[in-house]
Amino acid sequence: MTGFPLLSTIVAAPFLAAFLLFFVPATSRATTRIIAVAGTLVSLAGSIGVAALYDPAGPIYQLREKYPLVPSLGIHLDLGVDGWGVSLLLLTSIIICAGVFATWTMQERDQEFYILLLALVGGVFGVFVSLDLFVFFLFYEIAVLPMYLLIGVWGSSKKVAEAGPFRWIFRLLDIGGKEYAAMKLTLMLLAGSAFILVGVLAMYKAAGLDTFSMEALGAVDYPRSLQMWAFPALWLGFGTLAGVFPFHTWSPDGHASAPTAVSMLHAGVLMKLGAFGVMRVGFVMLPEGAQAWAALVGVVAAINIVYGALSAMRQTDLKYIIAYSSVSHMGVVMLGAATLTIDGWNGAVYQMFAHGLMTGLFFALVGLVYERAHDREIFHMGGFARAMPAVAVFFTIAGLSSLGMPGLAGFVAEFLVFLGAWRGPFPWWAVAGIFGAWVTAVYVLRAARQIFWGEGPSDRYPDLSDPRGPEWVALVALAACLVVFGVAPRLILDGIDDASADYLQQIEAAVAATADASGVRP
Amino acid sequence: MLILALTSLLAPLLCFALLAVVEPLRRRGRLAGRLSALVAVSSFAAAARVAWMVLVDGADPVTWTVHWLVHEGQGFAPVGIHIDGISASMLAVVTLVAACVQVYSLGYMADEPPAAQGRYFAWHSLFIVAMGLLVLAPDLLQLFLGWELVGLCSYLLIGFYWRKPSAGKAAVKAFWVTKFADMGLLLGIIALFGATGTMSWEHPPAGIWALVVPALLFVGVMGKSAQVPLHIWLPDAMEGPTPVSALLHAATMVAAGVFLVVRAYPLFEAAPAMLTFMAWLGAITALVAAVTAVVQDDIKKVLAYSTCSQLGYMVAALGSGHLMGGYFHLTTHAFFKALLFLGAGAAIHAVHSNSIFDMGGLWRKTPVGAALFIVGALALAGVPGFAGFFSKDLILEELLHAGHLGPLLLLVVSAGLTAFYMTRVVAIAFFGEPGARAAHAHEAPWIMLAPMALLGMLALVGGFGGGLLAEAWGQEYHFAVTPVGVVTTLFGLAGIGVGVVRYGTRTWTGLTLDGLRGFILSGPVDRFWDSAWRRGLLPVARMVGWFDRYVVDGLMNLVAVAVLKLGAGVRRLQTGRAQDYVFAVVVGALLFLAYGVVGG
Amino acid sequence: MTTTAGLAAGPGLHAWLLLAAVLFCIGIYGVLSRRNLVAILCSVELMANAVNINLVAFSRFHGDLLGQAFALFSVALTVAEVGIGLAIVILVYRARKGIDVDELDLLRG
Repeated sequence: MTGFPLLSTIVAAPFLAAFLLFFVPATSRATTRIIAVAGTLVSLAGSIGVAALYDPAGPIYQLREKYPLVPSLGIHLDLGVDGWGVSLLLLTSIIICAGVFATWTMQERDQEFYILLLALVGGVFGVFVSLDLFVFFLFYEIAVLPMYLLIGVWGSSKKVAEAGPFRWIFRLLDIGGKEYAAMKLTLMLLAGSAFILVGVLAMYKAAGLDTFSMEALGAVDYPRSLQMWAFPALWLGFGTLAGVFPFHTWSPDGHASAPTAVSMLHAGVLMKLGAFGVMRVGFVMLPEGAQAWAALVGVVAAINIVYGALSAMRQTDLKYIIAYSSVSHMGVVMLGAATLTIDGWNGAVYQMFAHGLMTGLFFALVGLVYERAHDREIFHMGGFARAMPAVAVFFTIAGLSSLGMPGLAGFVAEFLVFLGAWRGPFPWWAVAGIFGAWVTAVYVLRAARQIFWGEGPSDRYPDLSDPRGPEWVALVALAACLVVFGVAPRLILDGIDDASADYLQQIEAAVAATADASGVRP
Repeated sequence: MLILALTSLLAPLLCFALLAVVEPLRRRGRLAGRLSALVAVSSFAAAARVAWMVLVDGADPVTWTVHWLVHEGQGFAPVGIHIDGISASMLAVVTLVAACVQVYSLGYMADEPPAAQGRYFAWHSLFIVAMGLLVLAPDLLQLFLGWELVGLCSYLLIGFYWRKPSAGKAAVKAFWVTKFADMGLLLGIIALFGATGTMSWEHPPAGIWALVVPALLFVGVMGKSAQVPLHIWLPDAMEGPTPVSALLHAATMVAAGVFLVVRAYPLFEAAPAMLTFMAWLGAITALVAAVTAVVQDDIKKVLAYSTCSQLGYMVAALGSGHLMGGYFHLTTHAFFKALLFLGAGAAIHAVHSNSIFDMGGLWRKTPVGAALFIVGALALAGVPGFAGFFSKDLILEELLHAGHLGPLLLLVVSAGLTAFYMTRVVAIAFFGEPGARAAHAHEAPWIMLAPMALLGMLALVGGFGGGLLAEAWGQEYHFAVTPVGVVTTLFGLAGIGVGVVRYGTRTWTGLTLDGLRGFILSGPVDRFWDSAWRRGLLPVARMVGWFDRYVVDGLMNLVAVAVLKLGAGVRRLQTGRAQDYVFAVVVGALLFLAYGVVGG
Repeated sequence: MTTTAGLAAGPGLHAWLLLAAVLFCIGIYGVLSRRNLVAILCSVELMANAVNINLVAFSRFHGDLLGQAFALFSVALTVAEVGIGLAIVILVYRARKGIDVDELDLLRG
């Protein structure tokens, strides 16, 4: 593929914008925002361009670019995009644009905030287009680390009631505090990274090709013993970021403490990095290990869905509700992946896309409500629809998408995943998933009723108002995307399907080859 | 024909989009209402033309689809338009009632704030689209899409008075209960796809799936069509504005379940056990709901339970193995129940109360409205000549043929009860003592009466449309007097008689059965689900949430604290005193020395 | 210039080494157990001198004068070390009003 280096432009634009922001005086708020928006808009335009240029009938990786980085170790900046990457690039650029608009009114240290945010998103773009495992991991870390500062500095704290068998711990840790949340998130994700690194290096060494190219490493037939331990290492490593039970507990605290745009980006995009990693590196590159472990992955995913939904039901803090709903919905992604069927995989990737939009919208709204009400307890609220009707409408749209209302993107994804689950090895996964969707309906509508319906709002909330100026951009864009991709899923589903079909073929071929080989031996 | 059907679908969609996006238009409520009503009427015109072409001119069925989803490069899940006798006639009925209700709403909702009116009509337009999607579906997936969307409209419209806590509760309850049942429907569709590779109702799956698939689908039907024990949401749904109750919760949306069974009948036919179950469940629902209707004082609640009961008739009829009776009843019921609700709405509008005891003697104040309501009541009671009579008669006839005598008996008893409770409502609300609030009542404006009159006419003559409807199956339909029909009619007339004696002339007021009345009013089924919610789901959710916060997360914190403690332990070695470090060096040196001496 | 016979008459190399070892151990004991910085400094001197004795003894028994030169060099260095050490002690005294090493634990973890 020749011509304009589209992918590197997408990745470089946020980094460049972040770099430029260092030289802008801290007082010029408008310039800061213009640069940040410009950086994200370039990426957005690039992502739309990629989506337009990507040809489902063509080779699996398109728009290739390759620059040497550390040739002696076989590390190259090898960029290319598959059907999954197309939709996830699109998602990321939509969310980051919306995120910048949604935090337009932020006051405190806005420049540093945007620098970190842009660096983070540059890392995310990098992961989705990297075809070199080392660079993939590098970008992954770039995406994960700024979160520590973003939450620690700009976050908010909440008191958690002391109880439970480990009650004495509360004296030692500031549980619910923003520093606690930032630390917890970073440490858990880094612990996951350690597992990933071990798995990656094991593959590099076992392949013995002196290259980190994912294509080359993916074509290697690793020994079964290696696959059997490397796959769970990758699953747990990436899975921590994807909120896999029981390593999801960073998510509620982290997302609840994080500022609006960060929650949007983290729940909307970053958790997808985890799921993308599990599928792209774990499932695709270690097919035998994947097949052997798929049952466990699926069971844990089913637990995730139901457990996350039930936990969300119990929360009274708006941000925690949405955060737990992410845990539940990421379970749908992992469930789809574990089915190892075409529909399940399509659904998993589509769910990443749909959930990203949906939860992005959710967190944008929660931020809006919190900013105006200075309160997150839903049982304090009531009748907010009177003062903020548009927020109520958008909240309902996001909620409906999360509970799988047809016509919104969430339904397409959930339907495909459940279809895949039913046709996969364990049909009851589909039952768990569908039950989870029902519980989602219970807690989402309950929250919507509690916040927006009924009498009120009382005098405690004098500042309630509908979104203003740039905030509209974020909300309308996200809601419109939910509708568009809910009505016309094939806009991106064809590309996703192309990649899933290719990868599944690879897996089948690899497994079949091993079966043949073992069949020959007595 | 395709263009016409598309028009009847796209016109309301456009209207909804306009009202949803163009805020100034929505805020001008009356204008929005007129636009929406106009669109609904034109939508009906198109649908009626389609129905005429199919049923009268005998046009061939038409299907036009595109693939909505894709796997392995192959499109699947067709969505589009499928026109045959069933969908064309159903679409005509739906759009007709919708048009009537929208025109009526122009009068009924006139006192609401303009913005609220705009919202109301936007959702009404969306409802027509959703119902059209459902009716014209070429396969089960699109039917499910429409099914969920009408559920959404129902949720939004029940919660129209969102400031009222009871409306909010009713709205989410309706959504939860139907969505709960929809789990079965969705699973059924998925299981069907798993077994046959398509989501079409044409090919029943083999083996155990032949029973499992329709059973799962039927769970959805039970929710949407308010069959016992999932009927609990329907009476609460009366919190919505009365025209909404007429359109969604009486005439069309709740009938979607029945429509699903009619549509997917090849699947149900393949499972005889399922049919028997349906006959019994329908009959039980009909009886239970009829008994409950007798003790209600809220006019809308009476009608709501009556809707449950009539839906029970339809489901039971479909259990007989014949389609015509259930479907016929669906259409006639749509007309007279919509009429009844609109009449009730007019009465409520006049006295600003739902209680039949507040109405009393409305006959003298609002003669036209009362007369139209009574037409509806007579049709519901199955008085010969009215629409309800023919369809009910056909249902009982079919059940007799199929040999389902138990359900038949229950339905005959229910017919008597139906006549009784309708007489009670009419006698108390329209005759009887003038209620306190009825003094200043006045007739509804013509814009409300005109659609009622149209529906009233259909309730009168709709029964003669049976022959036309039978065309949908290429069958003949002729009415004949049969013993079952005679007995049922007698039961009905007896019910009316008892009702008149008891509530009209008040010549007999014995036998009050207060214990039974109290038991029914306490809502045993409701209490069951309520305790399932309170003692089942909520505690489980609480437990899981607690477990997550304090045990799972507690373990994570434990790891963190363990590391901290370890650090604290190791830290003690760093005393900061140089002498201790020197001591350590000396000990280390001695150890090396010892190793050199002993091991070296 | 000493002779081999003179060597034979006096104590053997082992004795000198033993003396040095004993002195060294006394020094270590002092460094580890004394709390007064000046005393510790003295103990360090003992250890340094133990080393010097070794140097001289080996030099003597090997017949190589380089060792004795080295010992002289070491003595000079030790003087410098004591100078700096005492300066530190004085500074510590000024800063902390005492020279008890148990209280000098700023490095404590």
